[in-house]
Amino acid sequence: MSIVVKRLSKAFGGELALDSVDLAVDDGEIHALLGPNGSGKSTLIGCLSGRLTPDAGAMTIGTDTVARFNPRMAFAAGTAVIYQHFTLVGSLSVADNIFLGSELTAAGGRVDRVRQAAATEELMARIGVRLDPRARVASLSVGEKQLVEIAKGLRHDPQLLVLDEPTAALSEAEARALGRQLRRLRDAGLAILYVTHLLSEVFEIADRVTVLRDGRTVLSSLVGELSRQDVIAAIAPRGGFDAERRSMSDLDGAERVLELSGFRAPGVGPLDLSVGEGEIVGVFGLLGSGRTELLEGLYGIRGATAGRVTLAGAPFAPRSATGSLERGLALVPAERGRQGVFPSMSALDNVLLPYFARSGRPWWRSRRRERRQFADTARLLSLDPPSPGASAATFSGGNQQKLVVGRWLTEQSDARVLLLDDPTQGIDVGARADLYALVRQFARRPGRGVLFTSSDPEEVLALADRAVVLVRGRPAAELRGARITAPALLDLAHGHAAESTTERGPE
Amino acid sequence: MTDRTAPTSLQRARAWAAASALLLGVVALLLVFSLLNDAFLTVDNFRNVFIQASVISVVAVPMALLLIAGKVDLSVGSTLALGAVVTGLLITDGFPVLPAILAGVLAGAVVGVVNGLLVELWSLSPIIVTLGALTAVRGLALTLAPDPVFGFPDSFLALGEDRLFGVPYLVLIAAAAFLVGAAVLARMPTGRHVYAIGVNAEAAYLSGVRVKRVGLWLFVATGAAAGLAGVMLAARLGSAPSGALGVGFELDVLTAVILGGVAFSGGRGTIAGVFLGVLFLGVLQNGLTLENVPAATALMVKGAVLAVAAGLDRVAMRSER
Repeated sequence: MSIVVKRLSKAFGGELALDSVDLAVDDGEIHALLGPNGSGKSTLIGCLSGRLTPDAGAMTIGTDTVARFNPRMAFAAGTAVIYQHFTLVGSLSVADNIFLGSELTAAGGRVDRVRQAAATEELMARIGVRLDPRARVASLSVGEKQLVEIAKGLRHDPQLLVLDEPTAALSEAEARALGRQLRRLRDAGLAILYVTHLLSEVFEIADRVTVLRDGRTVLSSLVGELSRQDVIAAIAPRGGFDAERRSMSDLDGAERVLELSGFRAPGVGPLDLSVGEGEIVGVFGLLGSGRTELLEGLYGIRGATAGRVTLAGAPFAPRSATGSLERGLALVPAERGRQGVFPSMSALDNVLLPYFARSGRPWWRSRRRERRQFADTARLLSLDPPSPGASAATFSGGNQQKLVVGRWLTEQSDARVLLLDDPTQGIDVGARADLYALVRQFARRPGRGVLFTSSDPEEVLALADRAVVLVRGRPAAELRGARITAPALLDLAHGHAAESTTERGPE
Repeated sequence: MTDRTAPTSLQRARAWAAASALLLGVVALLLVFSLLNDAFLTVDNFRNVFIQASVISVVAVPMALLLIAGKVDLSVGSTLALGAVVTGLLITDGFPVLPAILAGVLAGAVVGVVNGLLVELWSLSPIIVTLGALTAVRGLALTLAPDPVFGFPDSFLALGEDRLFGVPYLVLIAAAAFLVGAAVLARMPTGRHVYAIGVNAEAAYLSGVRVKRVGLWLFVATGAAAGLAGVMLAARLGSAPSGALGVGFELDVLTAVILGGVAFSGGRGTIAGVFLGVLFLGVLQNGLTLENVPAATALMVKGAVLAVAAGLDRVAMRSER
């Protein structure tokens, strides 16, 4: 059944995540949904699945038009959503997982394993997969788990299948197999909404593509009528943030504050990389490119590393977070919620946590001094609201990230090299500009340097003096100055990905 | 996403009531029992309440810190027995009192070190590790002293009986424990680290907090406190029965701590709350005894109180959001 979304809007705390978005997915169509981080893709899926309530607009499934769904209604209307994060129980079998919560029973309420196994095989056949229904899910590969997840979604005969970046965790071969199976479902008349980051997938399997940007539909068209460049231009138009790039002559003579040679950490490397004094180096990479592995490996929290690292002129061995901080290397992690913020603690606690032992005597905190330090930092960050006592959970995403970044930007910090992992993920434009300015300001202080990663080309454009494109854990190219452009970054990240398909076998 | 609208006055009243429920509960208990019984509201009786609560208090304070950091120590009942037995044996062997007391505390600290190393270095579940220690340490205490240890000199018994300016020594020790605990949590850097670990251990580690070291010290402090509690109890009872001393003690401590508003899942709690929790249980126990309520009924009342506390906690948490 087709689904039509009309003028759908949704705001979070005053920030529009969806701004009057239109979308139409027809029967027998694979519709790709693209957009940079924070463009509103997850919010749109949330509204379709009934997890979120839109503020305005309407959704039409088949002939029913509604202003909002709850999860039950979405389910009844035949929408099945397959999330990035698996919802499978590892200790149960494939069949038990697929029928979890709606078990087929025999006389006496006993679970009818035989019928379940048969039905599971039938579902698997629909997507052209052969998997033992009795296999424990924990023993399956990531790709197989993804297929079980899809089979589970098909169990209730959906009319619309929504997939949220289903290939993010898959190997190249598995991704291709999945694409084939999705086309088979499409040919059987199913409407499929396919959320992805990868341009190559759009041109490989999608019939139609919609690009979201800052909560608005900026492109919606048949794939056949588009070129790669059209899509790239929609994702990352020129302009936006002011790029204040340092001139190359400024940086060429600079001391190296961080230098990696033959660096290797689990999931990344070997690679050579350097950050000069005052320089901001951006690492552009798609999901699975090893960008997080690079920063976390360097910070010493990913296990054993190999190769040589030189930090401020002296050799450095990444071993632990505390060890790295002692040497002036600080990390702003990728997952703000899981790794960065202390939601129920105050803003002051969030920023000054590493420095309490220093703010007064080492055994006794000086609250007056802490308040002053916080006030200074809050002004620096243009934190909104600048109240020390408010718990971090009450701040917007952008201001929460300011708290995390502020931890290393405050006067008290002696961080010399700042590592930022996808620093503006899910953050509104205003806070983004603030954060860029802060990072630039940090880099200008003597003896400092910044290494950041991003999956957003525009971010690299706005912030990086020099850009490295990371593909499958290896640097694919280095761009400087005016050669850093969104199409170049995307092309290198995707293009190379397509060439190297044979290098990576099934997992 | 977070709702940033100001809470209504009703919501605020509810939040206040939930947060102060324990204080109101203590006041209500005092009122009811003083109306029911003339012997309740007397200096002597209250001295009793505080003496009885003192042993639990000494352990409840470090246990609260452990819980706030998202961990727990279930072995304190057996560790208490070990501390009592070690000190008791040394004293009856003719050791001077003070070194013997220190040895009892040290024995508890050693149990804490073992618990802490297993939990922090090997990343084992604190519940399982300390559950094992609960059994093993009881066995150790029974091995050291198969029969109850008694016949202490007056100099040791004085710890359990004497007073300074009218305040029993035991109560002074408990007061010191509360003061130290409150100072650590509210005013020392370590206090913030304890909260941070309980709220988000990974973020704390990434921010440079020495997560494992703090955890280890919390286990050591709890073990040492349990050893001290054993010494205190032995001095008060005049004997140290290795098999019976402190059986079920860990549950009393946890009840008081959780009643005091410390989250079992970590990240939340105050020493003032723990104080009220200990006081509430102490007053309740004392009042029920004065009213000649059968022990079996008293147990049911105490259990029900914990369930009510859990319910109030939910209300308080929800209105926080």
